[in-house]
Amino acid sequence: MSEYKSVIPREAVDRSFAKQGPKQYTLWVDIEHCIGCNACTIACKSENNTPIGVDYNRVIEIEEGDFRDPQKAPNVGVTFVPMPCMHCGRPACLAACPVGAITKRKEDGIVLINKDKCIGCRYCAWACPYGAPQFNAEAKVMEKCTLCVHRVEKGLLPACVNTCPAKVRFFGELNELTPLMRERQARAVSITVAGADTNPSVRYTTTK
Amino acid sequence: MDMLAKIRPELPASVEHGLCSRFRTTKSYCTSCAVVCPVPGAVQFAGQGAEITDACVGCGACASACPNGAISLKESDPQLAERIRSRVRPGETFRIACPRAEGKVDLVLPCLSRLTEALLLEPIRGGAARAEFLDPGCSGCGLNRDAPQWERALFLAQALCESAGFTAGRVGRIPVSVGRPQETREASESPNPRRAMFRAIAEKWKDAGAVAATEDGATGQKPAEVFRDAVQRHHGNPKRTELLQVLRALPGAEARSKSLPAAGLPFADVEVGSQCVGCNVCETLCPVEALRHREANGVYALDFYPALCTGCRVCEAACFHQAIRIRETVDLSVLFDQPSVTLISAPRQTCQACHESFLGEASEHRLSCLASGDRRDAIARRFFLGGNQSDQP
Repeated sequence: MSEYKSVIPREAVDRSFAKQGPKQYTLWVDIEHCIGCNACTIACKSENNTPIGVDYNRVIEIEEGDFRDPQKAPNVGVTFVPMPCMHCGRPACLAACPVGAITKRKEDGIVLINKDKCIGCRYCAWACPYGAPQFNAEAKVMEKCTLCVHRVEKGLLPACVNTCPAKVRFFGELNELTPLMRERQARAVSITVAGADTNPSVRYTTTK
Repeated sequence: MDMLAKIRPELPASVEHGLCSRFRTTKSYCTSCAVVCPVPGAVQFAGQGAEITDACVGCGACASACPNGAISLKESDPQLAERIRSRVRPGETFRIACPRAEGKVDLVLPCLSRLTEALLLEPIRGGAARAEFLDPGCSGCGLNRDAPQWERALFLAQALCESAGFTAGRVGRIPVSVGRPQETREASESPNPRRAMFRAIAEKWKDAGAVAATEDGATGQKPAEVFRDAVQRHHGNPKRTELLQVLRALPGAEARSKSLPAAGLPFADVEVGSQCVGCNVCETLCPVEALRHREANGVYALDFYPALCTGCRVCEAACFHQAIRIRETVDLSVLFDQPSVTLISAPRQTCQACHESFLGEASEHRLSCLASGDRRDAIARRFFLGGNQSDQP
């Protein structure tokens, strides 16, 4: 287990990027270099001990091009998109929960489900545009990616980031990740869904 | 100081959190108790719903205002009802007054807003011809923020009177001048209040000392109940039980239909639309067990007990599918015959794609399927292939 160090010293952050606002821990996935090995999925399952059918992190495979079409054939490719909880700025799940079991922590912006309060009504799963909350049939509560809050609080990296063999997952404060993306000349996007203005915090790199 | 903390006097009012709609759902913005409280800061809203603080003066307006009966006072409603009934002389007029009213009365209460609808009807139930409430007007009184509650309770009691087939005038307000009320019957219990206070403190001190000696610092606190379990447990609504008893026992009552606009009333009639998926959240969160489900042979049915419904609108606020709705008018006669209404009855089915259950007749998939994995896939695909990207810093 490697020690979590901020990817860039706080002082080095360009002042123009140090936005005013609450702190937000998040993930950045360099999907240009993701090899789709699913090690993050396995590490997550192992770390969080999730039952079959509940995956906090899933890797979506997107195939492009068509072998049968000679026009498109040279450009075939696969993109792997790991999809954890987006730890949104305005979480749709939080707004849907009828009992206030979902909270967005002020100190680090992590969206968490309080399992003592959750009544397992699945309203959050209905509301989330990313399909992040999932029903744990054993415990009869909803679960989702916690950004490995138990590890982060100890100063460790989340299990998925720690495991990634291709080193394409980065963890840090949103404003601290931005200069890193710049340094790598990458363009970062967050997956937005039409009609859901949730301000997701997880960033992906894309050349498109 | 520890001993002093242990012998803190009991607050005049206490809250049963399980009945408070603010505790059961964070989507409730009920402030019934807080708006009528005459003391700023005596009612506060925290994680456990409404809480009564040391500032409480015990006027009882909040207990009377809470539709769910979550707030109970030192002298409970049944005890006060007993006190009223013991003084009623059948066939005569029964008078209740507040300490500022001038005139001869049968009972003096700290504030008339303490009286719930049930207590306003209690003299009639006891056989009195009329119940009169001497009202010197609330302006100039320190508790004048209670006034709306007193007006509302009187309005409700008169409406219930009409619904029972009486004239509304049997429960009436008598405007009087400011003065001092004279009780026709001397209160039998008149202990020296100061001595009684010190005696109570001494007894508590003794008890606290005994507890401290046996426990010797061992924490006797049991862990707080998990919210999920607490919300599954349902409590009866003591206030409504009392009202239904009074209405049942009213001599010569004959139920008549009387419709009122439901806004602001502690009664309601609900309806359920076809969006209902049978998630049971309304039943779970209903503080007063007015909604109950049945499930037999794969058919889900939701029953509604209008006599128990307090119009707290927890169900309406909590329903994600916006299937449950409060009707605009309510008929008070349901309080007399207490029927149960089946709101929806439909076969429960399981979606082939997402394995979630839903209610419906024939369709294989429900309209917006909850296949979480598929949803992620679809979103990522649409985003990275469709090109609806947005630039981030």
